Amino acid sequence: MEKNMSKKPTVQPALHKVIMVGSGGVGKSALTLQFMYDEFVEDYEPTKADSYRKKILLDGEEVQIDILDTAGQEDYAAIRDNYFRSGEGFLCIFSITEDESFQATQEFREQILRVKNDENIPFLLVGNKSDLNEKRKVTFQEAQDRANKWGVPYVETSAKTRDHVDKVFYDLMREIRARKKDENKTSNGRGKDKNKKKKLKCTIL
Amino acid sequence: MSSAVIRSLQQDVFNPGEERLISCCHVSKYLKKKKTSFLCLVGTTTVPFNVWIIQIKQTDKQVYKRKRSWSLVELKSVDGHSELYETQEFDLYFDKVYRWVSSSPKERYAFIHNLWKQVSKHVVKDTPVFKNIPKAWITEDALTPESNFITSPLIVFDNDLVEDFQAITDKEQDDLKRLMEGCEFAISNAEGFMEILARDLSLLDGENVQCVLASEEHVESLMEQLELAINEADRLETQLDNYDEILCHVRDTMETMEKKNSMNSIVNKNNQQLMGELENIVTTLDLPMDYQKALDDADFTTPEGLTFSVKAAQALKVAMNSDIDKALLQMSAVQEQRKKFEKYKEKFSRSLSRQLNNLFIHYGNHKGEADKSVEGLILPQHSGVHKELYPYTELMHWMKVMDKKMYDSLKEVYTSSLGKLYDRDLRGLFNAAREKIGGLKPPRLQIDLLSDVVSAYAVASPTTLIGLDRDFWTLETSAADRRRYETILEQVLTQLEPVFLQEQQFCVRFFQLDVLSPTSKNTLTTLDGCEATMEIALPQKKMEKQIDEDVRSMMSTLFACLKTELDLLIDHVKRQDSFYCMYVLIGLNQHVMSAQSSFLSNTFASQLVEVKRSLDQFMQTQIESVKDCRLARKSKVGILPYVSNLEIFAVNVECLLKSDRAADLEKWYTRLIDTIIEYIPVHANEQKTPSQVVKMENYHHLHSLLSQLKISVLDVQRKETKQRYNDALQAYVTLYFGRPLEKLNTFFEGVQAKVASGVKASEVSYQLAYSKQELRKVINQYPGSNVKKGIESLYKKVEKHLSEEGNLLQVVWRAMQEEFIRQYKMLEELIQQCYPGSMVSLEFSIEDILQYFSEIARSH
Repeated sequence: MEKNMSKKPTVQPALHKVIMVGSGGVGKSALTLQFMYDEFVEDYEPTKADSYRKKILLDGEEVQIDILDTAGQEDYAAIRDNYFRSGEGFLCIFSITEDESFQATQEFREQILRVKNDENIPFLLVGNKSDLNEKRKVTFQEAQDRANKWGVPYVETSAKTRDHVDKVFYDLMREIRARKKDENKTSNGRGKDKNKKKKLKCTIL
Repeated sequence: MSSAVIRSLQQDVFNPGEERLISCCHVSKYLKKKKTSFLCLVGTTTVPFNVWIIQIKQTDKQVYKRKRSWSLVELKSVDGHSELYETQEFDLYFDKVYRWVSSSPKERYAFIHNLWKQVSKHVVKDTPVFKNIPKAWITEDALTPESNFITSPLIVFDNDLVEDFQAITDKEQDDLKRLMEGCEFAISNAEGFMEILARDLSLLDGENVQCVLASEEHVESLMEQLELAINEADRLETQLDNYDEILCHVRDTMETMEKKNSMNSIVNKNNQQLMGELENIVTTLDLPMDYQKALDDADFTTPEGLTFSVKAAQALKVAMNSDIDKALLQMSAVQEQRKKFEKYKEKFSRSLSRQLNNLFIHYGNHKGEADKSVEGLILPQHSGVHKELYPYTELMHWMKVMDKKMYDSLKEVYTSSLGKLYDRDLRGLFNAAREKIGGLKPPRLQIDLLSDVVSAYAVASPTTLIGLDRDFWTLETSAADRRRYETILEQVLTQLEPVFLQEQQFCVRFFQLDVLSPTSKNTLTTLDGCEATMEIALPQKKMEKQIDEDVRSMMSTLFACLKTELDLLIDHVKRQDSFYCMYVLIGLNQHVMSAQSSFLSNTFASQLVEVKRSLDQFMQTQIESVKDCRLARKSKVGILPYVSNLEIFAVNVECLLKSDRAADLEKWYTRLIDTIIEYIPVHANEQKTPSQVVKMENYHHLHSLLSQLKISVLDVQRKETKQRYNDALQAYVTLYFGRPLEKLNTFFEGVQAKVASGVKASEVSYQLAYSKQELRKVINQYPGSNVKKGIESLYKKVEKHLSEEGNLLQVVWRAMQEEFIRQYKMLEELIQQCYPGSMVSLEFSIEDILQYFSEIARSH
């Protein structure tokens, strides 16, 4: 790999931007830290916003994942607009032990769709804290139903036991990658995959 | 008490039981004076001898009856109440206390005294205690005549009663009666009777004197008899003296004979010993003819000849080192034999050394046996040589003892001859290894293009300075290359081990390097033997050290080129890969531990030290490069080279961190990260980009890297980068904020200053500079559209400052939005406080702001 590095025009791996959304205390940061550093932090400290970057192998292809871990509690929802806008895929997280957090996903979903102006934006509904099944307040079926309604996958994870943690990130990245390929095909007429971001903007606007 | 009572007691009560009254005391019970009884101390007259204390009562019919009895051993103590003689009370302690009052002090004394005597005589264990009793009563008055007779209980009894009772025997009584009968008036006329008695007495006296005088004759005859007896005794004595003299004479004669006899046996023994000694000398110094022949004309060509030579040589060695007394050595026969041996020795030693010399030189060309079927690097083994030389081992040992000079020169020939062989082998192995690693490439063009900074660090290995932009790195080694280098090195090191071990074992055995001074018992039979004694007294530890030293010096001559070749190989790797020290260190470390040959292990160890040194130097250079990092002038600084290079650096050094020499690196890692943390602000200050941005982005990146690396010793640094990142973010947001509403901010800063200086909030509006009109003026400058423009330009500025790889735009912008809302709320609040009821308000609402934010979000 060093050989690659030393070549002057370095070919940067594809970059996928993932946003973590959900109410406060559902485990967004815990999932992120588990995915990034294989660690589980017990202490709860509300996040404002934090960004992470990691190189990973996605089905044999080296890609870079950008994760924006966001605040669960935000005084004004509009503040989220900007970073929702920058996201290419969303992990919408609730805690299966707290119905309120599950209800809140509806609002997050609506805001994302509004900001992205895209019904098919890569999106996963994630029920976290599956290790606390005895305290469960949201049934699997309930959550699955909602996901079906939205046309998105539903996965239950545990940041504590690392159950399905990699799965949600990799699944979402695969969706993002597929989305980007489609867009390239549709806008293949002009300029190759360079400036694809700009192209993306144009189609939306 | 009357003696009559005592007599009757003895007769009536004790005689039937063959008991004897020792002492008796007429007593009454304490406080019950009327009931009297006799307390008797009684002993049996037959064995076993027992003493009892018996209480006797006299019934109304004047009959004595035993009431109680105790054995003397039951008596626990006696309490006399007072030491005064007049006392009458006394207590006896048996199973319980019995308190008595004697009829008179005298009786009390007699009873207690006798009791004590009996106790001291018969009671051995747990002697009763005598309290409150005059000391004199309970001590043995040895001088009194009574005590002499104390062994006879009957006499004691008589003595005890002597004071008040003198019994008249029956015979006396009869005599008395007869005497009185002879004189009828005896009773009526005592005076007459007395006269008669006196007359009789004088008559008897006279007779008595006459009788004495008459006996003189007898005495004289007795004397004569005695005289005769004495004479007879004298005669006997002289006779005895004669006998004695004769006996003395006999004794002296015996002694002389004995002396002669022992002399004879000594002579005999000496003769035998002399014979033995002579026999010993002759047998030890005798060398069979065939041995002599073998020594004279040694045959090493056949195995049989060789074995026989060994035997002959051993026999010669034994003969020459035999234990012969010093004095005997001066015998001319011995001397002669010795000279003969010497001749044989020299001859044999010469021919042996010729033979071995030839062999050594011949084996110097040995091809060695290498397993050709194995792919890879191979160092041939020479066990064939060893096998052929092993039959000579004993002869070599012989040589060492018998001819040290020859031994030394043979050793030299062996080392130089085999040394050449190994030299060739080693060079072959190392050359092959170097070839496998890859030929020397011409220096790459890029190096020439680099700035002078680089040339300062121009070492033989590729440039991989952490403080240098990755584009300038000349490291071309891939992970696969590195694995290959590692394997080659490992192969070489592994190949060395068996060969070295085998050679070392052979040398130790063949040249007997493990025996410091050969067992030369020095009997002067060997000519050069006298010097060997000095080394024997060496202490064990020193001896081992000396042996080690010998082995090592021989090995280092044999494998003289090993160190150079190893150096060359490592240098070669170094030229390919600047991170070589990481895995070379691990490889060497393992082999230092595992190498069984002390020489090899030592060589590896010194190599290890050198590699460790170059690791230190490498890391030091890395740290220096961070300090000297020069940044190209760019509009955006982004992630500093040494921060972004750290990731690949970590990959390259990871192997060492996982080995058992991790501590070597951890120390340096800490220093490197500390330096980076220290130098981020230094480099941040030199740039156009705000230093807070540089710090924020770099600390964020560094924190993320450290979190991924999870090196426990760097935990402190990880926390520090997190803190520094947060501080920089905070500083950037607060410092660059305020721009969109600058005039409003300055106005209200003034207001706040007034309030702080003591003006009431509600009265600020009366100040000229801060009147409602002034406020309106300022507010008017910020209609919604202006505010929106201000926010948009702020966003653009932030976008311009932040780098893509820093990846913090969203984080920063979120913080900016939050800050903006906070400031808006503060302004609103100040207006409420300072201009209440003025109906003045900002020209844009919070909803407007949120709207602007949304629009900005949607505009890109």
